[in-house]
Amino acid sequence: MNWTLALPEIVLSVSGLAILVFGVLQRRDPTQVCSLLTLAAFVLTGVLVLLAPDGIGYNSVFVGDDFARYMKILSLAGAALSLILSMDYNRREGIGRFEFPVLLLFSTVGTMVMASSENLMTLYIGLELQSLAIYILCAFDRDRLGSAEAGLKYFVLGSLASGLLLYGVSLVFGFAGTMEYRGLQAALSASAEIPTGLVIGIVFIIVGLAFKVSAVPFHMWTPDVYQGAPPPVTSFMAGAPKIAAFALLLRVMAGPFGTASHQWQLLIELISMASMLFGALAAIPQTSIKRLMAYSSIGHMGYALMGLAAATPAGMRGTLIYLAVYLFMNAGTFAVIVAMRRRGRPVERIADLAGLGRTDPGLALAMAIFMFSMIGVPPLSGFFGKLLVFSAALQAGLPVLVVVGIVSSVIGAYYYLRVVKVMYFDVATAAFDRPAASVSLVSAGMGLVTGLFILLLGPVSSAAQAAAAVLFR
Amino acid sequence: MHVVLADYFPVLVFVVIAFGIAGAMLGGSLLAGQQKPYAEKLSAYECGFDAFDDARRRFDVRFYLVSILFIIFDLEVAFLFPWAVALGRIGLFGFLSMLAFLGVLTVGFIYEWRKGALDWE
Amino acid sequence: MLPGIANVGLGPYLTVSAALLVLGVFGIFLNRKNVITIMMSIELILLAGEINLVAFSSALGDLSGQVFTLFVLTVAAAEAAIGLAIVTVYFRNRGSIQVEDVTLMKG
Repeated sequence: MNWTLALPEIVLSVSGLAILVFGVLQRRDPTQVCSLLTLAAFVLTGVLVLLAPDGIGYNSVFVGDDFARYMKILSLAGAALSLILSMDYNRREGIGRFEFPVLLLFSTVGTMVMASSENLMTLYIGLELQSLAIYILCAFDRDRLGSAEAGLKYFVLGSLASGLLLYGVSLVFGFAGTMEYRGLQAALSASAEIPTGLVIGIVFIIVGLAFKVSAVPFHMWTPDVYQGAPPPVTSFMAGAPKIAAFALLLRVMAGPFGTASHQWQLLIELISMASMLFGALAAIPQTSIKRLMAYSSIGHMGYALMGLAAATPAGMRGTLIYLAVYLFMNAGTFAVIVAMRRRGRPVERIADLAGLGRTDPGLALAMAIFMFSMIGVPPLSGFFGKLLVFSAALQAGLPVLVVVGIVSSVIGAYYYLRVVKVMYFDVATAAFDRPAASVSLVSAGMGLVTGLFILLLGPVSSAAQAAAAVLFR
Repeated sequence: MHVVLADYFPVLVFVVIAFGIAGAMLGGSLLAGQQKPYAEKLSAYECGFDAFDDARRRFDVRFYLVSILFIIFDLEVAFLFPWAVALGRIGLFGFLSMLAFLGVLTVGFIYEWRKGALDWE
Repeated sequence: MLPGIANVGLGPYLTVSAALLVLGVFGIFLNRKNVITIMMSIELILLAGEINLVAFSSALGDLSGQVFTLFVLTVAAAEAAIGLAIVTVYFRNRGSIQVEDVTLMKG
C-alpha cells in the first residue's frame, strides 16, 4: 500500500495533535507559540504537498494528482494568511486562545482530504472535518452575542447541507452500485440511460456543495455569518473551505458525472447566473463592509461557477485561476478589515473608511487595488480571472451566461467604487489604530500579488492547466 | 410464516431469561434485605432529578458537558468491534491504524482532562 | 439474515428514509420554537441517509455502505456535541434558545 500518498495530511494532523498537547500542558499562555508552530506546520505541509507522489491509495479512497496539489496549496495559503491575521486580532480582542490555530489546522486538513477525495466516503468525511472545525471557529468569540449567533446559524444550515449531501451520496451509491469515482464513471458511461434515482442523488450533492460555496439560492447564511464571526475566521471561510468545496464540485462533476453533463449543466448555469446577479444587487444597500464582502463573495462564486458550467477543460482552468485570484484579493481585503480599529475597538461600517486615503495612504492604496481587482479592471488579477471564465463560457456556447456576467460586473462596480470614493473623497475622520506589522504585511503582500498578477499569470496558469487536464482523463 | 416465528424463538428465550434475572434480583433483595428508608436515601441520586416529576425543567449545564464528552468517546468505541473481529485478516497495517486512532482519542482525553472538563467542582 | 426481512425488498426502506428526510427538512424550516428541535431534525436527516446506505449495501451485497454508516454515526455524534456546545454558548449570551430570538443580524 502506498501510504506516502497522504503524507502531507498525516504530517499536518499529527502536528495538530502535538500542538494541542503542547498547548494544553503549558502553564503560561501558549497562544503565540502555538500560532507560530501551526504556521510552520502549514509551510512544512506545503513543501510535502509539492513533493507528494501521484497515484491512488488506501483502497482507492484517496488520490494524489496535479489537481489535488493545486487545491491543497491554495487552501494551505488561505489558512496561513487567515492565521497571520488572527494572531493580532485575537490578542487585541482578548480571545487569544491556543485552540484557535489548532482548529484552523484541522479544518485545513479537512479541505485537503476533500481535494484528494476519490470516493464519496472521503468526500463526506473531509467535508465534515472541515465544517465541524469552522462551526466552532465562528462561535469562537464566545462572549459576544453576534459571534455565538453566527456559529449557531452556520451550524444549523451547514449541517442541513451536509445532511442533504449525505442523502444524495446514499442515492448515488444505491443506484450506481459504487462509491468510487472511477467506478461511477465506468457505470455511468456504460449505461445508455441514467436512472432517475441517480439524477436525484446528483442534484442533492450539488445542493449540498452549493450551500458550502454559498451560491444562490443557498446563500441565506452567508451575510449573517460573515458579519457575526470574527474577521480572521471570515477571511478563512471565504477562502479555503470554498476552494475545497469547488475542488469537490469540479472533481465530481467533471469526473464521475462528466458523461451526464447535460443533466447538471443547466442547473449549474442557473445557479451561476443567480449568484452573480444577486451578489451584485443585494450588496448595493449595505453599510457594513463585512456584509458587503459577504455579498461580494456570493457574486464571485457565481463567476467561478461559470467555468464549471462550461464543462470544458478551458472552463475548469478558468475556474481554478479565478479561485486563486479570489483567494488572494479576499485575504488582502480582510487584512484591511482587521486593521479597521479605533480606540481599541473594531469598526465595520463602510463610512468608517472615510479619509483613509490621507490618514493611511498605504492601507488605502491596498484596499483600492483589491476593490478595482474585484471589479475586474486590467491589469489587476481579477481581470484575468474574469477574462478566462468569460471566454471559456463563450467557447462552450453559453452567451447568455456571459452577458449576465458582464451586466452584474457593471452593477458590482458601483459598490466597489463607492468604497474607493469613501476612502479618497469623503471628509477624514479619526485615524485607525496603528495596525500590527503582521496585518500590514498581509495587506501589502496581497496588494502586490493582486497588482502584479500579470507576472504570476504564467506559472499559475500552467499549474491550473495541468490540474484541469487531470479532470478530463 | 412459521419459519419466521421459529427464527425469533431465541429472542423469546432471551426475554424470558432477562425477566427471570431481573425478577430474581429485585425479589431477592426485597426478601433478604433490611428495609430502613429515610429521607436522604429516598431522594434522587445520580442525575439529581426526581423520577416522577415534570420533565421540562431547567437543569445544570454541566450535565450537558458530561453528556457531550460521553457521546464522543462512546461512539468511537463502535470502531473497535469490527476491528477486533477482523484483526486476523487486516495485518499489521490494520492493527497500527487502530493504535493511531486510539492515540488521537488519547490526545482528546488529555485535552479535556487538563482543561478541567472532567472536574465537577 | 432473517428470511422475513429479505422478503421486504428495497422499496419500504427507501420510503421510510424519504419520509425521515422530509420530516427533518420540515422540522428545520417550519419550526419556530426551539433550537434543540432543529438539532433533532438534523439527526433525522442524517438518519435518513444512513438507512438508505444500509439498505442499499444489503441489497447490493457491497459492504462499503455499512462501513460508511459507521463513519456517519461518529460524525453525527461529533456534530451533535458541537451543536450542543454552540447552543450552550448562545444561551449564555442571549438567555434564550427560541428560534424567533436568533435575529441579531438582519438585512
